[in-house]
Amino acid sequence: MSEASLYFLQQLINGLTIGSTYALIAIGYTMVYGIIGMINFAHGEIYMIGSYISFIVIAGLLGMGMVALPVILVIALVIAVFTASTYGWAVERVAYRPLRGSNRLIPLISAIGMSIFLQNYVVLAQGSRDVALAPQISGSWTFGDPQLFEVSLSYMQLLIWVVTVVCMTALTLFISRSRMGRACRACSEDQGMTNLLGIDTNRTIAMTFVIGAALAAVAGLLLGLYYGVVNPFVGFIAGLKAFTAAVLGGIGSIPGAMLGGLILGVTEALTSAYFPSEYKDVVSFGLLILILLFRPSGLLGKPEVEKV
Amino acid sequence: MMRQNFYTAFFAAGITLILTCLMVGVKLTSEGTELRVVGATAAQWTWIFGGIAIVFLSQLFRDQISAASAGIPRPNLGKLLPAVSVQARLKPWLIAAVIVGLIVWPFMVSRGAVDLATLTLIYVMLGLGLNIVVGLAGLLDLGYVAFYAIGAYTYALLSSYFGLSFWVCLPISALLAATFGFVLGFPVLRLRGDYLAIVTLGFGEIIRILLNNWTGLTGGPNGISGIDKPTLFGLEFNRRASDGATTFHEFMGIDYSSSYKVIFLYLIAVLLVIWVLFVINRLMRMPIGRAWEALREDEIACRSLGLNRTVIKLSAFTFGASTAGFAGCFFAARQGFISPESFVFIESAIILAIVVLGGMGSQFGVILAAIVMTILPEFAREFSEYRMLLFGLLMVLMMRWRPQGLLPSKRPHMELKR
Amino acid sequence: MKQFSKTLLSIGTALAILGSAAAVQAETIKIALAGPSTGPVAQYGDMQKIGVMAAIDDINKAGGVNGMQLEGVIYDDACDPKQAVAVANKIVNDGITHVVGHLCSSSTEPAADVYEEEGVLMITAASTSPSITEKGHQLIFRTIGLDSLQGSMAADYIANTVKPKTLAIIHDKQQYGEGLAQTVKDGLEAKGISAVMFEGVTPGDKDFSALIAKLKKENVDFVYYGGYHPELGLILRQSAEKSFNAQFMGPEGIVNADLAKIAGDATEGVLATAPKSFDQNPENKARVEAITAKGEDPSGPFVFTAYAAVQVMSDAIKAVGDTDPAKLADYIRKNEFDTSIGKVTYDEKGDLTESTFLVYSLHKDGSKTPAAQ
Repeated sequence: MSEASLYFLQQLINGLTIGSTYALIAIGYTMVYGIIGMINFAHGEIYMIGSYISFIVIAGLLGMGMVALPVILVIALVIAVFTASTYGWAVERVAYRPLRGSNRLIPLISAIGMSIFLQNYVVLAQGSRDVALAPQISGSWTFGDPQLFEVSLSYMQLLIWVVTVVCMTALTLFISRSRMGRACRACSEDQGMTNLLGIDTNRTIAMTFVIGAALAAVAGLLLGLYYGVVNPFVGFIAGLKAFTAAVLGGIGSIPGAMLGGLILGVTEALTSAYFPSEYKDVVSFGLLILILLFRPSGLLGKPEVEKV
Repeated sequence: MMRQNFYTAFFAAGITLILTCLMVGVKLTSEGTELRVVGATAAQWTWIFGGIAIVFLSQLFRDQISAASAGIPRPNLGKLLPAVSVQARLKPWLIAAVIVGLIVWPFMVSRGAVDLATLTLIYVMLGLGLNIVVGLAGLLDLGYVAFYAIGAYTYALLSSYFGLSFWVCLPISALLAATFGFVLGFPVLRLRGDYLAIVTLGFGEIIRILLNNWTGLTGGPNGISGIDKPTLFGLEFNRRASDGATTFHEFMGIDYSSSYKVIFLYLIAVLLVIWVLFVINRLMRMPIGRAWEALREDEIACRSLGLNRTVIKLSAFTFGASTAGFAGCFFAARQGFISPESFVFIESAIILAIVVLGGMGSQFGVILAAIVMTILPEFAREFSEYRMLLFGLLMVLMMRWRPQGLLPSKRPHMELKR
Repeated sequence: MKQFSKTLLSIGTALAILGSAAAVQAETIKIALAGPSTGPVAQYGDMQKIGVMAAIDDINKAGGVNGMQLEGVIYDDACDPKQAVAVANKIVNDGITHVVGHLCSSSTEPAADVYEEEGVLMITAASTSPSITEKGHQLIFRTIGLDSLQGSMAADYIANTVKPKTLAIIHDKQQYGEGLAQTVKDGLEAKGISAVMFEGVTPGDKDFSALIAKLKKENVDFVYYGGYHPELGLILRQSAEKSFNAQFMGPEGIVNADLAKIAGDATEGVLATAPKSFDQNPENKARVEAITAKGEDPSGPFVFTAYAAVQVMSDAIKAVGDTDPAKLADYIRKNEFDTSIGKVTYDEKGDLTESTFLVYSLHKDGSKTPAAQ
């Protein structure tokens, strides 16, 4: 392969990695939107909290002298997912459920308030500075011609891919096969009707928040390990990107969120590869606006039907 | 019943424990270059268990609490206003009294208070502008801050590159912001609801990132400093006059004091707010203003009645943007310094919160909400680090307490008498 | 009309003067300490705080200034230009007329405009961007050298000692980082060395994998980074993961134990220009001990420059016998001060007439040693 194509391959790998994590966070936005039609601005903060919890668990276990890395990571994953899900559930219960049925701007403002609250809560609890964790999984495969360009795929990147694929498969199976998943889909079609059929819609809605939060926590752990740094403000930026990804793919559609995340990640990487990297966000937002102009409901979204 | 509550209370307390035990109970620190965790201090654990106890007790006795709170009458701010007929008679006097009050007031209070009042007036302007878009026309705009930024940068750039004065730049800023509103609005206004929200959000971010990266023109993240302050018919409010100009205190023959400048800026802000209010009030009574509200209520009905939806939406968007340009121009002049950091998304969110909290569509409510939203964080400065935490919490609580806003708009209406 | 507004204005001023008179008569002289105590570079704010508080303690123990005690009041600007202007206005509104700060050059410059206009004396202990003192301000000083010095020194070191084959310059687009990067670039071009890349990154960004791949493609073997440690730390860490092994160099804004926390082993051998380690000076021994006794770290690059800033201020107040900023500024410009960073004198612009930077080599345990010449 030529140097140019090896370079392209490297940037594609980088883009797919970051895109996978966007996709994981985007699921939370898209599911909540699909079921109650609100933008959950506090979702990015759940991701940040997931990152913090996993850092706390990893640092704690390492401090206790535990050395088996896979065990540490699994424990961290379980605790982070559990705690973040609880946060997701509590946020829905406190800030959104009492507002259900009011003008759609009301929960939006409540969500923004919740986002500010959670951010500052973590600032108070953990301080506003960067917390850094030493690299846990290091090393990479390299291939390509060392004379021209060496492509590297780090073990961490591979782990991110594998975990994302596993999570997505599990989610797809859950939504299409399980009872709860069917209830979710029914709820997003018609809440009133679902309620009449004896399904507890409140519980189903709470469940979507929990699933979204759990996936955000997985992303929090993965990105925490990948970058090794977390601060209370990472959630906001990541949330904004993930939300963009969800809209790009068609908000409300789960495959759309996955696709949107990957497209956004790859766009960012390729923009920084061939242009000055500071313009990557301009290009990704520009792409979003363009796609929405030609497909007003996103790539895989259902076109909205106007009802009187 | 009590037993049911006991289970709920127990459950809620458990949830609170899960939420706080790792996040507050353990703190990440570093020891050398290693990341370590330390347990919280006894004081923090007291806080955690105090919080859990409060949650537990409030859930346990929630019937009693809700019964007790039902006894407290909810304040109805609308009732505070006199009846419509009296209002009409009092109105000119009331307006005159308020304007006189606004003009005399700054001479009696501290410099800091006047400064804060000026900031509040900027938010009043922004709130009124966004109110046209969101409150009246029902278009959800999450990137309103972009027009504010355009206004601010227009003045900053024209003043620092071409030396144009504030008064010349004020209409230019408004016009340019309106043009951007028009150009953006044209393609995107056919998007519906939340898609419009995300596109405007994206537009806001694009403007901010461009300002941040176009270092040659805008100074990038360092912003533009040393922006000229407004002048009073050519009189400057600086300590020393620039070349060929006179300062205010020299002209008046009094000693220099920096509070003249603060008061002067405040008076300009008052003037601008009155102007904006006047224009919007006129617009609302014109056919276009009626059309905005009609469109918000029912888009399909509007179209069936032959109203041109694009023109209506576009005009609302453009007027909203021009108000933001106005506010931005004044903001740049007041600060003397602007950077892209002043125009982040959270700023849009706060302006939107002002509109929603005020009661969408209600101008008086928006003014009240702008005052609440700017003064509250200042009062909360006492709580220093808890300030933003309380601010976020209040946003959530206010939405629960008064989802319709502080002063929901009341339209003059007729009722049939039986 | 003229008479009327005059009366109104004089009422206003009378009230304002009453308010400020009350502040002046107080027993203490308040010194505002402005810098980041939150945000990504709060570590540097701590260094400044350690130095200022130590100086205030020492001076107060020795009997204060003209019988008055000094009092430090901390203001947080989070290293954000917007908040810096707000903080500067707040300091003015609070009636404080002596400031040590701000820290980041991009915050200091707009804040300095406010102080100059409002008659507040400011001494920065950490801002190195030349443009701060280039506007003819009268009340603005510093106790640290300029980027023009630091940058040309880095350029000399790169050209004479490192002699890289392919060089790239990366910066964070902020006043401090980009200014330095530009100075280094100009300095190297004067010596006939040109950089293959001159590119900005966005502060707060976390993913630099695309940038690293780009550097790798250009076969870069030396990178100069103008900016602060959070971004460089991530660049170093991700470079190590992607087996990109170039030599990195940065300014004093990366000299901080947190760089090693983020980058781990990749920190070993990174070069940095920084003010001389004043904590090694024998005359600062007692001061270092006092700081260490409080459980604080005296080795940060801004600790003793901040200490010196307070010394300059208090010595000037002592000599002039007044706290009026204009008189103090006049005195500072004309006299020599004996401080924790040695004897200092000022030029007309308010810059030090003499200052020293050294090239250091950083280590993975967070320490630094002078680099081989």
